[in-house]
Amino acid sequence: MPIHLFIAILTFYLMLFGAGAQASLKLPETVKVDPAALTTEPMCDPKISPAWREAQEIEGVKIEASPGCSPDNPAWIAAAVKGTNHISMETLMKTGLSPDAIIKTDDLDGDGDPDRIIIKLEIMELNGKSPDFPGVIPTFDIAPGIQPGAWVFAPKTSGMSTENFESVRANPLLRLPSPVIRVEVGDIVQIVLENTHYFPHSIHLHGVDHPFSHKDHGGNDGVPQTSERELMPGERRIYEFQARQPGTMFYHCHVQTHTHLAMGLAGMIVVEENKPNNWLQTLNIGAGHVRHPSVAVKEQFDQEYDLHYHAMDKELVEIIQKYNDPRLIARDMNQRYDATDATEDYYTLNGLSFPYTLRESLIVVEPDQKIKLRLLNSGGELIAIHTHGHHATITHYDGVEHNPVAQIMRDVFDMAPAQRLDLRLETVNDGKHSYGEGDWLIHDHREKGITTNGMAEGGSMSSIVYTSYLNGSGLPKVSHFGIDLNEFFTKEYYERRYPIWQDLDETASLGSPAGQMGVNAATQTSLLNALYGLLIGLLIYLVSAKREQIKQSAAAAVSRLKSPKGSNQ
Amino acid sequence: MAKTIITFLLAGFVTFSASAFAQQQTKPAEHDQHDHSGHDMSQDSSGTATDHDHDHHHDHDLSAEHPIDHSDHTMSPQSAEHGDGHHHHHMDHDHIMDHEGTMIMGQNLDKLPSSCKSISQEVEITVRAGRKYAAKFPGTAFAFDQQQWQVKPCSKVTFHFVNEDNIRHQFMMHGLPKYLYKYGMFHLEVTGPKTVSGTIIVPGSDDTFLVHCDISHHMEKGMKAQLVVGKGGENIPSIPGVTPYNINDTYEAENLPKVSDKAEQNAMVRQITTFTNNNLQNYGMMLIGVLIGLLCIPLFKKILFRKKSD
Ligand SMILES: [Cu+2]
Ligand SMILES: [Cu+2]
Repeated sequence: MPIHLFIAILTFYLMLFGAGAQASLKLPETVKVDPAALTTEPMCDPKISPAWREAQEIEGVKIEASPGCSPDNPAWIAAAVKGTNHISMETLMKTGLSPDAIIKTDDLDGDGDPDRIIIKLEIMELNGKSPDFPGVIPTFDIAPGIQPGAWVFAPKTSGMSTENFESVRANPLLRLPSPVIRVEVGDIVQIVLENTHYFPHSIHLHGVDHPFSHKDHGGNDGVPQTSERELMPGERRIYEFQARQPGTMFYHCHVQTHTHLAMGLAGMIVVEENKPNNWLQTLNIGAGHVRHPSVAVKEQFDQEYDLHYHAMDKELVEIIQKYNDPRLIARDMNQRYDATDATEDYYTLNGLSFPYTLRESLIVVEPDQKIKLRLLNSGGELIAIHTHGHHATITHYDGVEHNPVAQIMRDVFDMAPAQRLDLRLETVNDGKHSYGEGDWLIHDHREKGITTNGMAEGGSMSSIVYTSYLNGSGLPKVSHFGIDLNEFFTKEYYERRYPIWQDLDETASLGSPAGQMGVNAATQTSLLNALYGLLIGLLIYLVSAKREQIKQSAAAAVSRLKSPKGSNQ
Repeated sequence: MAKTIITFLLAGFVTFSASAFAQQQTKPAEHDQHDHSGHDMSQDSSGTATDHDHDHHHDHDLSAEHPIDHSDHTMSPQSAEHGDGHHHHHMDHDHIMDHEGTMIMGQNLDKLPSSCKSISQEVEITVRAGRKYAAKFPGTAFAFDQQQWQVKPCSKVTFHFVNEDNIRHQFMMHGLPKYLYKYGMFHLEVTGPKTVSGTIIVPGSDDTFLVHCDISHHMEKGMKAQLVVGKGGENIPSIPGVTPYNINDTYEAENLPKVSDKAEQNAMVRQITTFTNNNLQNYGMMLIGVLIGLLCIPLFKKILFRKKSD
């Protein structure tokens, strides 16, 4: 009986093969993904009011226009310039900042601006694991559907970590990158770190003139091996300095630096020249366009942008999404993660990857402008930033001015990890400084720098875009070239489920082929596997059922083998 | 065969449920209710350096009983000078905030829930928050001193929220009736070490309300509790020591260095000179193996026999 079954299954199996062979006479049709099947996000975040783009004055603070589609909240800028202790409750409520987030007092040198600055920073986790539901919280997307676990220094906030109780999206103050800090030469600055995170951390002020140890607050260099103990959860520490030199500098956590820095605990800190009436925008939340530049910058430039390049390793940032127990996270990060095996997967500019960089990290220019760009590389590898259509001049390396007569122009700017460059970009159409108006890419020329988890188009790519190439919603005008950027604003694109060339021609010649007729390859193999299983099962059954028979025949065989041996003896 | 499989499954299930049970059992915090007198007592009893007792900070504390007079702090258009405007207090009916961010939101001193005819009792509960309270729950980072409080329906409850850390914490309650509480929320927030107090009137029916700190990952890492009104409603998950997590991490034994490893290492060193010792150990293990084998023979026999008789 089982023998018949055996044969039947074999026949079926052969028939399957036959069907496959027949189908391959004609290759599968192209299947086009219907745009309606995609979760298309609006290209411009609808939660951000277009009124924020306009030049305006709040609390006596002049705020420059910022025509990009997601400009900074003007109330943030007013609070950062005046201090949260000098603004109305109405404005403060629009910021979400704690009333003691930025305290400015005492004009010590009598030049019309406050010289005692207290900045309170908390440490917030983004996209971490919850023990309550299978998602992450609070969410921060660096690109559609891309939510790497991250830690950031955040300005001290008030209230919830999410937009509201129903939402899992992070409060807009909790975001990558850690905010840009701006202080003046001679300011007595206290950066107060309130460690709201479940791990120990610190702040190291890379490049900023600071004492190794402070008379009141002790160790001041942020390094647990040289100057201080790790700042434990629930604790507060004051880092105090009075910088004597200006420059574009860097601050970051120095506890387990190889992971903490990469997790996002890194930001730009700018020490501006001391000038009269120099009310600085103490925090540039989210970096990017500086809408209230310092007196010194305004003297020499038309615009200023903070460009913070960063990179994250997927294997690292996923650790906080794998476990909730801090002990397990600590174990995987400190003992199991091997930084020498690390590969960076997410490249960001000002905390975001393309296409979100188009929302808020465009460098929007007019012809014949001088623009100051401050670049920081907080990634783990060298980067090579290329400005399409422009050569810019390097004026400062690591915050120190380069000899003016020796300053050079380039179109690729290589930056070692932790390096800062100040560039002067001149939009003079002379074939060298600029080739004219356009929507000119600015991107990391290591080709992986324009990928997100290895897939283009993504990474830290953005644009130097002339206002004549900006559309009404503050995005680069590309539709007149027949370009549609909508596909990038879908999570399916970055899930690698969208055949990116399907719309290049009418026939979708490079679209996605349909599966095999009848049974596709995957089901075919799984069916086959099931069949093998069945066959093995049958075989085992046969063996056990006919065990006696087999035994007997085996015994007979053995005796047959033995007998000639015996006869030989 | 089938029997052995079932036995194994059963054994697995038992160990599994045992661990689940263990998690549930981790000492359901004693829900002693703080009444009027208890409140001040407990404050005084912990007058150590870190415990900034209530009295000390009394004049700084933002509390329901001493609302800040906002009449002379109304926000005037800001003068360009700095150094003044140091205090701003925001007050509307359900949002009070001082210059340090100490906050009371959604407080209700007098509005009776529709399910109540009168206030059944007035209770004061002191809630302490801090990293140190996480110590009794391994695998958490922040916690309240208690994870559950019980009050009668229609109680007027004043919470004294004592933050003992040097960072912000919140006492945030959700699910309250929205006609009385904006967003159904009651929210105390303060940067420690400091205390903030606020009052609510709980509804007249049995229910259980989520209490947590909403600072990123404070709730996820332990700062979670529940207020049980009357007999309570449905339990809230992932409260340390009270309810199990919805999603559990998996734990594995790790190869951590032990003092006994050192002894073994020493033994290895000795082995070079006197390897008979070690051999003895090996022979011992072998002997144990043989004994187990011998003991198992009848068992094997039985299994074989049964098969044959089948
Ligand atoms: Cu750190
Ligand atoms: Cu908290």
